[in-house]
Amino acid sequence: MWALLLVAPCLLLSISVIGYPIFDVLRMSLFDISRIGVVRDFAGLENFTKTFADPVFLQTAWQTLIWTVAVVGGTILVSIPIALILHEDFYGRTIARTIVLLPWAISLAMTAVVWRYVVNGDFGTLNMTLSALGLPVGNYPWLADARVAFLIEILVGILVSVPFTVTILLGGLTSIPSTLYEASAIDGASPFNSFRHITMPLLWPFMQIAIVLNVIYVFNSFPIIWIMTNGGPSNRTDILITYVYKQAFAFGKLGNAAAGSVIMFAALLGFAIIYLYLTRSRGANSDV
Amino acid sequence: MSKAKKSILCWALLSPFLIVVLFPYATMLSTALKQEDEIFTFERTWLPRDFYLGNFAELMFERGFGQALGNSLIISVGATLLSLAVAIPAAYALTRMRVPGEGALTNYLLITQMISPIVLILGLFRMFAYFGLINSLFSVIIAHSAFFTAFAVWMLKSYFATIPQDLEEAAWLDGASRFSAFIRVFLPLCLPGVVVTSIFTFVNSWNEYAMSLTLLRDVAQQTAPVKIAFLTGTLYQIEWHLIMAATLIASVPVAIVFASIQRYLIGGMSLGAVK
Repeated sequence: MWALLLVAPCLLLSISVIGYPIFDVLRMSLFDISRIGVVRDFAGLENFTKTFADPVFLQTAWQTLIWTVAVVGGTILVSIPIALILHEDFYGRTIARTIVLLPWAISLAMTAVVWRYVVNGDFGTLNMTLSALGLPVGNYPWLADARVAFLIEILVGILVSVPFTVTILLGGLTSIPSTLYEASAIDGASPFNSFRHITMPLLWPFMQIAIVLNVIYVFNSFPIIWIMTNGGPSNRTDILITYVYKQAFAFGKLGNAAAGSVIMFAALLGFAIIYLYLTRSRGANSDV
Repeated sequence: MSKAKKSILCWALLSPFLIVVLFPYATMLSTALKQEDEIFTFERTWLPRDFYLGNFAELMFERGFGQALGNSLIISVGATLLSLAVAIPAAYALTRMRVPGEGALTNYLLITQMISPIVLILGLFRMFAYFGLINSLFSVIIAHSAFFTAFAVWMLKSYFATIPQDLEEAAWLDGASRFSAFIRVFLPLCLPGVVVTSIFTFVNSWNEYAMSLTLLRDVAQQTAPVKIAFLTGTLYQIEWHLIMAATLIASVPVAIVFASIQRYLIGGMSLGAVK
């Protein structure tokens, strides 16, 4: 009884601020909604059919897939070697770790603002540095071409996702007992072999978790794209979350926004269930 | 391989990434110390002509950035206190007592942590509008704590589980009530965990952008990240020297605090996320 009382405030806060909006967005997605948010008649799935008929929505959904796969894939590829190096014992490791984790400490919004300046064609520090190195970039406007802009946003996305991923992988590497490596070295295994047969299999559960959590964070990532290009030029860098935000707060199409939110919510719930399944099956293993 | 050789190799392999990480900081510092005309000249260099500090003064006193920092501080402190106030009892109950429906509860908290606030922003906005709390710092405090509490419970739980229960039981035998044993014995022992959790919550709240952007429509209520993004989008000629000074002020202190807890994060995070 006491236990419930101790849990109650936390639950109350969470249900009123997260639970209720979930309900409200679900309800709005099924009703005809005026521009100012008045709920009118029951509309069934009309909001969803309208949303799916919107070519910008389809294009945005495709871009979301590219964005998520590219950022998460890139992040994992960059994070594995970094985590392996940071796990080694070398001079200045604490400093190196601190620098690698640094992007995590900064607001995504500010990272996006600074990178928007860095890649600015006329006075950004990227062109300034590349020119100083003798490369013929001139005043190349990096964000003017949608494909280049999207690529740069993906790279910034990778940069900000690495710290969290490295942290999880480092936790995983620390959990591998060093006796395993010693034993395999005695058996004459090369470093590559022990990486393949010890490190990778034992790190795999941590990698799965890192992938699922990153998919969730990246799929939801708002400030980088919102601030660097605002989804432009011509919606070519929009992802679902910026699309939904624009529908709601720029165009006043609340029905579309609610339908888009519900679609994203369903996808997130799917990811969350995968995560629960992964952690659950791991927990079961470690009990044995 | 000697440790010295290995160190050189490790640093060399890491350097491409480290350069990319540090590049924006160098940009912030270099630009924040320049005068406006120096940014728009043709011959531009990394080193400022003279180390000009006027941007910081102009930002604070003429552009209302001091107020944005104040708003951010109120929200972050408020959100940290509120999430700790609800997360500490919950984490204590989950580690020390039998909570009915514990599995469902932890799963629910985990799922709330995965839902981006922006997916629900429409619902959040309508709810706070209904209560007349748009443009109130209070609404952002509540929203932030609701979204960051699940993580706080998670972190605290993994710290609380490391504290041996014998100590509290000994205190109960000596006649202490459960509550006073919690305050006098348990809480001091897990203070480091509470500190790390509060710093992490503070940093998350300090950095949060989308909810603050949506719930605070009035310029006077803007938080630091929103104000900075706002400065880049409102003027014909973007005043980068001021914006970079602003990002520097809003980021560097937080980065230093964050760096000081990174050692604990590696332990606590992977425990919380995987186990």
